[in-house]
Amino acid sequence: MEVQIKTKNANLLNFMRKYGTVLGALVIFIIFSFATKNFFTVNNLLMLLRQMSMLTIISLGFTFVMGAGGFDMSIGNAAGLINIVFAITLINTNNFWIALLVSILCGLVIGLVNGTLVAYVGLPDFIATFAVGSIVYGIKMLITKGNPIFFPENIPAISLFIGQGYVGPIPFPVIIMFVCVIIAIFILNKTTLGRRVYAIGGNPVASLYAGINVKKYRLITFLISSFSVAIAAVVLTSRLGSAQPLAGEEFLLDAIAVVFLSTTMFGDGEPRGEGTFVGAFIISMLNNGLTMMNVAYYFQYITKGLVVILAVVISVVLGRKMNLKI
Amino acid sequence: MTTINSNVKTATPDLNLKSDVILEAKGICKEFNGVYVLKDIEFDLKPGEIHSLVGENGAGKSTFVKILSGVHKPSAGNIYLNGQPVSFDSVWQSEKAGIRTVHQEINLVPYFSVYKNIFIGAEKRKKFAGFNYTDDKKMREMAREVIKRLGIDFDVNTPAMLLNASMKRIVEISKVLVHNPNIVIFDEPTTSLGEEERKRLLKIIKSLKNSGLSIIYISHNLEEIMDISDRITVFRDGRKIDTMNVEEASIEKIVSMMLGHKTYNNYQRDCSYCYDDIYLEAESLYTDKLKNVSFKLRKGEILGIAGVVGAGKTEIAKAIFGLDPIHKGRIKVMGKDYEPSPQNAIDFGIALVPEERQAEGLIPNYCVSKNTTLTYLNKWCKGWVIDRKEEIKVTEEYIKKLSIKTTGPNQVIRFLSGGNQQKVILSRWLNGNFHIGIFDEPTKGIDIKAKEDIYMLLDSLAREGKSIIMLSSYLPELMSLCDRILVVNEGSIVGQFSPKEKDAEKKIMAAMLGGEYCGSSD
Repeated sequence: MEVQIKTKNANLLNFMRKYGTVLGALVIFIIFSFATKNFFTVNNLLMLLRQMSMLTIISLGFTFVMGAGGFDMSIGNAAGLINIVFAITLINTNNFWIALLVSILCGLVIGLVNGTLVAYVGLPDFIATFAVGSIVYGIKMLITKGNPIFFPENIPAISLFIGQGYVGPIPFPVIIMFVCVIIAIFILNKTTLGRRVYAIGGNPVASLYAGINVKKYRLITFLISSFSVAIAAVVLTSRLGSAQPLAGEEFLLDAIAVVFLSTTMFGDGEPRGEGTFVGAFIISMLNNGLTMMNVAYYFQYITKGLVVILAVVISVVLGRKMNLKI
Repeated sequence: MTTINSNVKTATPDLNLKSDVILEAKGICKEFNGVYVLKDIEFDLKPGEIHSLVGENGAGKSTFVKILSGVHKPSAGNIYLNGQPVSFDSVWQSEKAGIRTVHQEINLVPYFSVYKNIFIGAEKRKKFAGFNYTDDKKMREMAREVIKRLGIDFDVNTPAMLLNASMKRIVEISKVLVHNPNIVIFDEPTTSLGEEERKRLLKIIKSLKNSGLSIIYISHNLEEIMDISDRITVFRDGRKIDTMNVEEASIEKIVSMMLGHKTYNNYQRDCSYCYDDIYLEAESLYTDKLKNVSFKLRKGEILGIAGVVGAGKTEIAKAIFGLDPIHKGRIKVMGKDYEPSPQNAIDFGIALVPEERQAEGLIPNYCVSKNTTLTYLNKWCKGWVIDRKEEIKVTEEYIKKLSIKTTGPNQVIRFLSGGNQQKVILSRWLNGNFHIGIFDEPTKGIDIKAKEDIYMLLDSLAREGKSIIMLSSYLPELMSLCDRILVVNEGSIVGQFSPKEKDAEKKIMAAMLGGEYCGSSD
């Protein structure tokens, strides 16, 4: 059966399967540019990039988990808890770096618990990470009693710069985002870690037979996921200048949407770093553009859901067609 | 056509006899993609008899019963039920005609009780207030009755997961009997049962026969076949060799028929260059499946491990590679103690080419090169970063060396043929430097040309001084390739043979089938 995709038709199918969602994003972009007055302006586009930065960072970590065939339901609540932890540590120590370190440690602990339960204890990842997310939510509420925590006046300047500062015209979170995107793409595409993560996602049994320490690598993906949640949560706290008890929760649904969009791009059904970036751009663009068109927020949710379904369905259907054609 | 009799209370099935043959198959042929797996099969089943099918793996028994049960449609030939020609488009139609199969695998919902499992997909209903409800009372009653008919007594409310292997098998049989079939096909029902349980099950099957049921019985255990059958049909290479009454049969005769005068592969290895160094030594290994397995493997040796499917060959490989936990016993590799785990195995120079290429070998969405370098990925890296150019280069080398048919290192592996996929998996290990290679059914499902390539490769590896363990249920390839052959049955090593000794093949075959070969009887 050593048959290649021969016909032009099949080539087109393959192109659409890999880049159809990117084209779709362009189409939406163009529609928004013409439909609203302020969408296609430098200011708005920079704002859009800033809006998407936290979602992108969280989704990049989630990409590792899903690349290895796993799932992480705890990311929203984890972001919420780290939001609180960062603010409290910062207020008590008045030292940004200690607060950052504690936040990252807090993230890694959550990832360690997730990864241990899933990879070593063998719980289904949905259940384990959902339960951990629930516990994390409870701890968050226990700490704050549902009240926001505000930064005092004399907080170190860098604590606000992370989320609110600019380098030239570029918001600083955007720079953090691009650094994360580049690192994630590099790791996923060029290193042994990325190669093994996708191998496990492709066939965990064969990976085990090939000598890959599947448990270890699955644990690592959860650590990476929680690490990136911690980074995003620090940016979020700095951006808000406060800790909000309900902050971060919307990240879960959006990140799931982003990574599912990511599976429809560039690769062969696996989420890639590039795809996750474009996916986060699509979701954030919908939020931004629809708001500008004065679409009520509940319609925004409906639209986001429909876009994800459409992209995944098209990708799956085209994938099936490809397999028949070959 | 008979109709299904849903009333379980009548103990004897409604046979409605017109002739002394209940089922007849005439000239059955079956081809898959132009390859004949069955050719001109003539077969008949008398009411109230046990008719056994024997043959090597791949001889065509399973395909044949799958045609009877409506899974496959024959390419040519006819099936007659009570003298009437029938044609089954689906399993459902065959079941409606009164033919049911007790499958080799246990398929029970673990947390469903026995009676729920028995009626799964065929629940009895009652109407109440215009709606249908499951009639649990009636199902419990019927289940009790069926189990009683088997001469056994246990609570039908027990969840299936609490049952032992033989009880689970009883439930599987009840699942079939509750529909009051006329013909039941038993596909290796005694696998994974202990001696006592096996005897009890055979007794039950005999009693079913005595109650008038017609039974087609498939087993790899010849003693069992001799014990239970009225008639025996031998299959070989998709053909029926003979049907005989049990009185005329003997283990020796059946083995000879199964083997035939097979033309061997042209390939015959020269086995004269084994070294004395012991590369691997297993001392009384026990795992969930293995019992007291001990053997030694010398440098430069090809050690064959023969056994029918499910005998425990794969489990030996898994134990050595650290995929199944070892309860007792130890393994030494080149004189050093070795704690089995896949990572340790690789460090100690052990390679494993698994039997299930799709499930255990391939990363289906990875290209040829990524599949090739997966195990020894660090060799093609600078630090953590993969050197893609080197990776492509080494892949191209192996594509040439093993003549792998592919468009190039970047082709996604699932689009390759089975033999070429297997060669990629082989090159995954060859690009490292292993000392002990375990090859589990390395030629399964691949074409003749690729098979011979793999034989030649194994031979040259042994000549280089590597040790090879070759697990296979296909005797001729072991005979032509191995220095020594161990036979596994039911998780134990039951014999060791040299391919050169007299009647080696027949002795090995008999040992694989749980019998002993005592010289030809005629």
